[in-house]
Amino acid sequence: MGESSAGAAFAGRRVLALETSCDETAAAVVDDGHVVVSSVVSSQVDLHARYGGVVPEVASRAHTELIVPVVTEALAAAGLDATGRGAGPVDAVAATVGPGLVGALLVGVSAAKSYAMAWGVPFVGVNHLEGHLYASLLEDPELAYPVVVLLVSGGHTLLVRMGGPGRYAVLGRTKDDAAGEAFDKVSRYLGLGYPGGPAIDKAAERGEPDAVAFPRARLPGTFDFSFSGLKTAVVNYVRAHPEVSSEDVAASFQRAVTDALLEKTFEAAEATRAVGLCLAGGVAANSELRRRAAEKGEAAGLRVFLPSRAMCTDNAAMIASAGYFRLRSKGPTALDAGAEPSLGFNEPGSSLSRS
Amino acid sequence: MRLLALESATGAVAVAVASEEGVLVELTVRAARRHLELVHPLVAEALSLAGITVAELDGVAADVGPGLFSGIRVGVSAAKALAAARGLEVAGITSLEALAHGAVAAGAEPAEVVPVVDLRRGEVAWQVGGEVGHGPVARLLEELAGRRGLLFCGDGARRYAAELSGRAGRVAGEALATPPVASLSVLGVAALCGGRGIDPVELAPLYLREADARINWTTRHDSPARRGL
Ligand SMILES: [Zn+2]
Repeated sequence: MGESSAGAAFAGRRVLALETSCDETAAAVVDDGHVVVSSVVSSQVDLHARYGGVVPEVASRAHTELIVPVVTEALAAAGLDATGRGAGPVDAVAATVGPGLVGALLVGVSAAKSYAMAWGVPFVGVNHLEGHLYASLLEDPELAYPVVVLLVSGGHTLLVRMGGPGRYAVLGRTKDDAAGEAFDKVSRYLGLGYPGGPAIDKAAERGEPDAVAFPRARLPGTFDFSFSGLKTAVVNYVRAHPEVSSEDVAASFQRAVTDALLEKTFEAAEATRAVGLCLAGGVAANSELRRRAAEKGEAAGLRVFLPSRAMCTDNAAMIASAGYFRLRSKGPTALDAGAEPSLGFNEPGSSLSRS
Repeated sequence: MRLLALESATGAVAVAVASEEGVLVELTVRAARRHLELVHPLVAEALSLAGITVAELDGVAADVGPGLFSGIRVGVSAAKALAAARGLEVAGITSLEALAHGAVAAGAEPAEVVPVVDLRRGEVAWQVGGEVGHGPVARLLEELAGRRGLLFCGDGARRYAAELSGRAGRVAGEALATPPVASLSVLGVAALCGGRGIDPVELAPLYLREADARINWTTRHDSPARRGL
């Protein structure tokens, strides 16, 4: 994304952010990068549930319909009037530019540029993955660094060391499926419904986590993950044992995923001398992952930050936070910036370079 | 009344500023599909050339389609947000209306103009006698059976020029391949002055087709495409 040549540091405090990268239409107002004044999320999950996954065209249409009402609601909840003539209600407008569904991203980016232009304030494009890293800071402003962040959702599985706002290093990532994707696919296979994360979590409550010994992929010498083998193992096991209870399979699968995630995360925290560990992303709402992360943290003498469910899943407050720090370090984004559906870490335009 | 018009329903991107007196500024870029990159810089340029600020606008118009979905969503989202942020009303103008207006402005007889927009997948949308229709170009020809001397305009007319030109009429030149933004802005001013402005929340694309319901497993960055289990 293009950087504005204006070098003046951002001195504002209040950021409005728009998030439309997948199936949530969200807007939030955040002060000073960490004080959430308002946060509104309009989930399309029911719209997509009957298809068993996210349908890009359905998502794009819903974002177009919802974006203005969601922003208006976020402003109203913050006690602000969108249409006040004269000075704008916020100091900057941020939007997720990627990664995500291109047709969904462009709705939020186009609207955000318009709001910024209409109020005469800077626009800043934000990397969605970077946004997730700020979930813990938003709920715990006293957060001490460095921390290791395990970012797990339907589309991402990343292990990142965060030295402070704007300072990140990628430690590991999935080699194949994202953790949340494995939850969705296994849930679908077991007939438990969509989205898979909450469905498996619920079924697992009534199952035995040691009932089936599913494999844990270990990629030695790295902090990387792999989940496609586990998914295949679930299918093969159920085919060979059609009488097995779905609850037992769900619980055993969930145990295997959390084992794999937490083992690497704690190894990474130790190897990089982190003082804390944060969970982020939709899968971080999983009750087993949260419980066992807290237990292991206590045993290892490591602070574990577990953001609320609303802050784990996609929201715009995290985008506002990332946007605020990006504005302060790199300045605004030019209005000719496009959407970047496959934006990752270590790419030009991403501030997520190895540090 | 000072109105900003956004045209993005085809591969082109165009912006105009108009008032009751007519069009003040019009800017068109015929680059293919760079709507998100071009719309806002063009708006800034058009306002600057018109000598007004965004705070001096009285309304916004957008092409709601039919046409290129992603382009329409960029323009409609931009128009909605800009209007909502300034407390303005918007006018939704169809690409078919803008094309027909453009053809008449260029001297064609209103009764002879047939705008035809490419919907892809072998379909087009058209407007005949005020009625919007869509389907294969053969269906349009059936509907026009017996008529002569028509002027077909729009990207659909260009694409199906071989089928449309002949006994029924002729296909307009490149200038009417995309909806002229000047026409969009003039129609927008007329709509707002005529009390046909709407709340920006209500501005919606005209798709003319159900959403394609293919699931996307690669919703975000780091998951390679994989189908089902
Ligand atoms: Zn996310």
